[in-house]
Amino acid sequence: MMDILQDIKYVIFYPSFFVMIIFPGLIAGGLFVLFAIWFERKIAARVQMRVGPYYVSRFGGIAQLLADAIRVALQEIIIPAGVNPTLYVIAPIFPLLFAFLPLAFLPIGVIPEQGSVFSAYYHSFFDPGVNMGVIAALPTEYSLIAVLAVEAAYPIFIILQAWATNNRFALVGAVREAYLSVAYDVLILMSVIATAVEYHTLDVAKVVQSGIPGIVANPLAAFVFFVGLIMATSRFPFEIVEAESELVTGPATEYSGLLFLLAMGGSYFGTYVYALYFAAVFLGGWYPLSGFPGAVILFLKAAVIVLFSVFLRSVYGRYRIDQALRNSWRLLLPVALASIVLGIVGGWLWIR
Amino acid sequence: MTAQPNVFTMDATQIDIVPIEGELNVGPQHPGSGHLRIYVKLNGDIIEKAELDVGYVHRSVEKLAEVRNYMHLIPLVERPAILDSIHMNLGYILALEKIMGVDVPDRAQYLRSLAAEINRIASHLYGTGILAVFLGHSTGFMWGFGDREVWVEVLQALTGARVTNSYIIPGGVRRDLTPTIKEMIEKAIRYQRKRIPEWKRIFLNNPNIRARLENVGVMSKEQAIAWGAVGPNLRGSGVYYDVRKFEPYAAYDRLDFEIPVYKEGDAYARVHVRFNEIEESMKIIEQIIKEIPQGNILSDRFFKQIPPTRLKKHYETHGKIVFPGYYASFRPPKGEAISRVEAARGELVYYLNSDGSPKPYRLRMVTPSYRTIYVFEQLAKGARYADLVAIYGSLDYFPPEADR
Amino acid sequence: MDQVKIREYDKNKNPFRLFGAHVAAVGEGIKHAIKPKTITLRYPDVSMTLPTNYRGMIRLYKDVCIGCSLCAMICPADAMKMTTWEGKKLPQINYGRCVFCGFCVDVCPVDALRETRVHDAAFQSRRELVFNPDKFNQDFDQTLPVKGTVRKVRAVIDENKGIRYVPDE
Ligand code: SF4
Ligand code: SF4
Repeated sequence: MMDILQDIKYVIFYPSFFVMIIFPGLIAGGLFVLFAIWFERKIAARVQMRVGPYYVSRFGGIAQLLADAIRVALQEIIIPAGVNPTLYVIAPIFPLLFAFLPLAFLPIGVIPEQGSVFSAYYHSFFDPGVNMGVIAALPTEYSLIAVLAVEAAYPIFIILQAWATNNRFALVGAVREAYLSVAYDVLILMSVIATAVEYHTLDVAKVVQSGIPGIVANPLAAFVFFVGLIMATSRFPFEIVEAESELVTGPATEYSGLLFLLAMGGSYFGTYVYALYFAAVFLGGWYPLSGFPGAVILFLKAAVIVLFSVFLRSVYGRYRIDQALRNSWRLLLPVALASIVLGIVGGWLWIR
Repeated sequence: MTAQPNVFTMDATQIDIVPIEGELNVGPQHPGSGHLRIYVKLNGDIIEKAELDVGYVHRSVEKLAEVRNYMHLIPLVERPAILDSIHMNLGYILALEKIMGVDVPDRAQYLRSLAAEINRIASHLYGTGILAVFLGHSTGFMWGFGDREVWVEVLQALTGARVTNSYIIPGGVRRDLTPTIKEMIEKAIRYQRKRIPEWKRIFLNNPNIRARLENVGVMSKEQAIAWGAVGPNLRGSGVYYDVRKFEPYAAYDRLDFEIPVYKEGDAYARVHVRFNEIEESMKIIEQIIKEIPQGNILSDRFFKQIPPTRLKKHYETHGKIVFPGYYASFRPPKGEAISRVEAARGELVYYLNSDGSPKPYRLRMVTPSYRTIYVFEQLAKGARYADLVAIYGSLDYFPPEADR
Repeated sequence: MDQVKIREYDKNKNPFRLFGAHVAAVGEGIKHAIKPKTITLRYPDVSMTLPTNYRGMIRLYKDVCIGCSLCAMICPADAMKMTTWEGKKLPQINYGRCVFCGFCVDVCPVDALRETRVHDAAFQSRRELVFNPDKFNQDFDQTLPVKGTVRKVRAVIDENKGIRYVPDE
């Protein structure tokens, strides 16, 4: 009997499973995304002299989002004439998947040799860079880049989705996404390179374990990355792809029911994963804790980032696509270059 | 959009992923279109041509006017621009009064200006709100409507209805200004003054909004005149023209106010004109409250016809005018008249032709939004697709008003 | 004609001012998130009493009415119609047509019509919208099924908040 419980515990806490499915992956992430959307509506309502969700459950209608999600999920799925049904149905799954998959490479904590629930996996998830085990689905020494590499596939699937729906508004939205990705990917990559140069590593765990949060070591990179994050996940003021008043809902225009939920969920999951990454690299991650408590700290830091980025909806409108591109190349690229210089200097003089 | 063949079997040349040239059918069921359809011809992101397909909210007001008697028309002419109903009402009554040859007491003139300015503020806030939501700025949208609520509340206290005021009648106005309403208005002005800096921080000076509006939809002075722009759109292009100054009606010849004129002629200038007009309107309202003369609010000609008992019961205690039976159906003399008022969106012209029967022979209304249609089409040419909504919002185009 | 002053807006675009404006906008948002100026009425739980001179539903005083039909004549929407009711000429109203302009109330020479402050009403069919003189003769009073008690409030203009709701006695 004890053995079975032990086995179950072993499986549940097996980092690859735990990270992806339980925390901070699918289950925790899904609930948090719902919370973030609720928060977005509630905080916008406060700024805008309104009340926001109110009736469903107590505590400010916190169950409203659950109710909405169930309602939308049960709505009829309409497949327009003139589309390829197979492609149409599977297309929205990919963006969601590729918003979510990068989590596999992201370490969310370190495993001490003894004393944590994760200690059993110390050896299988050993990371020579930090001389400890790491809680990650796929531990790698190149996590800094691996996460971005997977995340970079996201726009391709947005385009696929728009193309599969055979709608002009969706296509225009997809083209905008394609343009925009040129801007934000460069920014994100440059700020990450600056960090990598500064910490002499491509391992997120090592960055965190150095004990110096990236935002202190290289504030410019942190700023550029944050703007890139907002752009990449189309939060305001860069909600250009979905642009309701211009493009209805951009690539998700034709979807209804569960497919709509999937199509719209991608960007929120993207924000969440990027925020976890931001929290790990720039906000000191789990340091100085380890094991599960460390992961919780990381999650909370990411939560603050997500909530702030959804809050921006109540402050901004949206930029025009050409303005977003121009601003990111003209104003932010120099900052990103400066951050690389700062990284080189910092890495040379300060962080060994 | 034609049916697309099976994507797996088709030839690569058949697929056009990027609509290099193409049409977009914006509306009538589109979140950015309002009650009209815009047929946009795109070349990449640039609009080559935007055709406005108007008429979705046509209500045949002009034709209906020929089968209604003069009093019945008051609620009807308000309907096209319900958020600017005082001006719609006022213009019609001015034309009617010209035919009837009634003169209006001073106090009523001031009250007309008062109601009109309150309505102007409410209408500009509404327009700003719509512009904000077109740009994706939901806070501006809600704030516009939230602040407008304050002024609508004031109008409701004054006239008895939120937007369907029917406040102005031939010969005067229906209700008098009471001390309570005066106090309400003063509070509302103080509130709005406090709000304007907040508006500036989050909306007007927000770099995001500035980027979206500056140098967008630029209309030069000459173009504005040639295309027949009116109201704030015209004044945003550097043309000093306002009916309130050029052909004063109501009490405007006795009030001291400025007309904000901006040089640039872009969308941002138009928004600035509106904001300055809100401030200017508040100054006018303050003056009116201070200077309003005592006296009747209805022309003596009709006032004398009201039964004295009713007069005592309603007018002397509640400041409410009751109608003499004359209003139920009257025949103005033969004649025609034209009236102009500066409505919130610009110059509003009424032409009224009476053949001596209880019903007008012809009523013609030229509404400011109607004159914006052409301006909109012209400005949209060469703009980016995303600017379509910015231009639309900054022109404050209101489809029902244009369609009548 | 007074002096024509052509204004120009501030076109300063230096990056630091731009950054400052961003900070100001976000700061304004945070300020409102912390101290909201909510003006929404939580409607079915809280309901608004309208001001005394509000032009709401209309009530007829059957015994006062002299059957002069002025109200029917002035009605712009043909909502008010004269009928013969128990041998007397009396108006009946169709709320499906009424635009609540209040002309009928103002024109009635004997004050047989009065505006009530009632505004919220629900009907099941169009036929119910027509009030015959008997029904028209009563104060409109519809008890709508609501859970719990409905708090009555009155809107007052507030200098800081815009609209404030105070309990109505
Ligand atoms: S309020 Fe106006 S529309 Fe309604 S019945 Fe009276 S006159 Fe007719
Ligand atoms: S106007 Fe008054 S008195 Fe005349 S019919 Fe109507 S309700 Fe009766």
